[in-house]
Amino acid sequence: MRFITLLISILIIVTGCKKNEKTITTPDQQIKFVTKSIKYAKGFSIKYFDTHKEITVTSAWPKSKQTFKYLLVEKDHEIPFHDNKAVVIKTPVSKVVVMSTTNIPTLEYLDVDKCLVGFPNTEYISSKSTRKRIDSGEVKDLNNDLDINMELLLDLAPELVIGFSVNGNDKTLNQIEKFNIPVVFDGAWTEEHPLGRAEWIKFIAAFFNKEEKADSIFGEIETSYLNAKKMALNVEKKPTVLSGSMFKDVWNIPGGNSFIAKYFRDANTNYLWHDNNNTGSLQLNFENVLQKAQQAELWIGAGNFNNKAQMISSSKGYSFFDAFKNNTIYTYTNKVGTKGGLLYYELGSLRPDIILKDIIAIAHPDLLKNHELYFFKRLE
Amino acid sequence: MPNKSTYKLAFTVLIILLLFCFFANISLGSVSISNSELLNILLGTSKNNSLHQIVFNYRLPKAFTAIIVGSGLGVSGLMMQTLFRNPLAGPFVLGITSGASLGVALIIMGSAAFGGILVGSLVTKWGIVIAASLGSFLVLLSVLVVSSRVRDTMAILIIGLMFGSITTAIVSVLSFFSSAEELQQYIFWGFGSLGNLSWEEVFILFIIYFFGILLSLSSIKALNTLLLGENYARSLGLHIKRSRLVIIVATSLLAGTITAFTGPIAFIGLAIPHMTRQIFNTSNHKLLLPAVFIFGAIIMLICDSIAQLPTSDYTLPINVITSLIGAPVVIWLLVRKRKMVF
Repeated sequence: MRFITLLISILIIVTGCKKNEKTITTPDQQIKFVTKSIKYAKGFSIKYFDTHKEITVTSAWPKSKQTFKYLLVEKDHEIPFHDNKAVVIKTPVSKVVVMSTTNIPTLEYLDVDKCLVGFPNTEYISSKSTRKRIDSGEVKDLNNDLDINMELLLDLAPELVIGFSVNGNDKTLNQIEKFNIPVVFDGAWTEEHPLGRAEWIKFIAAFFNKEEKADSIFGEIETSYLNAKKMALNVEKKPTVLSGSMFKDVWNIPGGNSFIAKYFRDANTNYLWHDNNNTGSLQLNFENVLQKAQQAELWIGAGNFNNKAQMISSSKGYSFFDAFKNNTIYTYTNKVGTKGGLLYYELGSLRPDIILKDIIAIAHPDLLKNHELYFFKRLE
Repeated sequence: MPNKSTYKLAFTVLIILLLFCFFANISLGSVSISNSELLNILLGTSKNNSLHQIVFNYRLPKAFTAIIVGSGLGVSGLMMQTLFRNPLAGPFVLGITSGASLGVALIIMGSAAFGGILVGSLVTKWGIVIAASLGSFLVLLSVLVVSSRVRDTMAILIIGLMFGSITTAIVSVLSFFSSAEELQQYIFWGFGSLGNLSWEEVFILFIIYFFGILLSLSSIKALNTLLLGENYARSLGLHIKRSRLVIIVATSLLAGTITAFTGPIAFIGLAIPHMTRQIFNTSNHKLLLPAVFIFGAIIMLICDSIAQLPTSDYTLPINVITSLIGAPVVIWLLVRKRKMVF
């Protein structure tokens, strides 16, 4: 009994010690601001106030119900009143750590790649100029993104960490926040429109005060994408397309509303699973795929294979397809970095126009005669 | 049997060793900090802000976590080995880890199966800790309910293992349907980590751990009596069912919370009691329990220092080190003494 009373009294003392958190509310809600126009991306918005910028990210990971607010304040300015959940970032950021290779070309395009001081798993990076900075020790390797070397990170003292999350359960990112290093979520990969992903360059640019540059880069990518799409609309013959590859005996096929399926639509091709509503990938068995796609004219995006011999050694079943016999299999293994990373995964998200042009050049060889395949190559 | 004063000496040596390991642990890491700099930081006279952060907000909480984990798992392993009179028992035989893994698997990989209802409500900074605690608590509760119907303590051991198999099977089903990223997240949780607890979390962990340690201290007498066998213990007036319950609750408080906060830490709970028994050559829990406590803390601090791979940019998962270092030491001790003390 005495023991239980002791336990209870300790518990009361402990819970009684919890500190009260203050909330600060904005005294004047009538402050004027300008909202930046975001055309394709649905996951973020930027408001420009006189004294600061405010970024709202609504789609940090798929089906996220959380909204993140980032307050970007110039380095010599005072921090305005804000709700205490907002993350404050002093701009322009001069030392940054990013977690995804897709951010590397973005930093390079914006001419701020010299601000990059650390990256988890640097061997995934293919870009030549950033590889040079890794080799010279200007960009430190921070171990794995799920198990960041915290000491090294603290030693680098970045002013911003641009991370991503698959479901919001990231212990490492939470921990970085606890060290008072601002963490922002890049949700570009959750966008469903190819140009939406590329438009996140405007999100990254805001932290470096590079908005104008971002606008002009995105404008070029957009024009180039839309022009290619328009050109493809004029063709009459739509080739049938198969995609995906097998893992063991399960065939992973992009759903009809998936990201890659949108490229197939914009390239004016007949993707065999186009009437399916799935936005992710379908897990189908081999027979099902063979029956539907044996006569498909093109096979675009056949996993990470480098040649047909590799495909055969992985599964004999691949050879039953017409595309295999007719040498019309194309996949995104054309450009490989020095450490074996595929450039498609790094740069593809920022350059949907090149991907679309590649697919158009594959599907309608007469249209883009001068276009040399960039990400894709034919498997021999 | 050695006399009292040799034990006193042994404990003094152990405590000095513990302090030494503690300081060695906080002075070693990826970023090299000289001893004089470390002293400046600890005394608050250092001007280097990032080093100050590294020591105060990363290395110190990590060192305290290592002490809590090592001592907590060691003590609960000792209690389980005595309760089941089985040298193979450890803190996780009751299905605590498997319960925690199930909780974590559900929150990380369950979105495919449950359409995000479960996940949406639990995605917070505490999500994984809460899920792991709930999981281990539920599995433990089921084991307790079932075991209240059996008289034989050994049956509880088997029941715990069976519940472990069931949860492992469910986790396998979940992993089969989950994406590569989610699977990777789950696997990384399984590696265990001491370094991602903030002071706040260390504090909460400590409070629950404290209660667990109090309960185990109160069971010392019962543990000694249990060594004689259940029937003998009963004839000596020990209330078997109640002592069994107290021991199980203490173990689950210790092992459950530690697993919730740090992930499953392998091997320590099994190996530390054996190492201590071999070195101290006794089975009296009045000596064993505090010795296991200090010994566990020391070994964990050493393992963590090695896992940091000092001065290199890389770190290793703590689970690898505990097994790599622990197993050979136990083998060596057994071979040297040629006889197991149990």
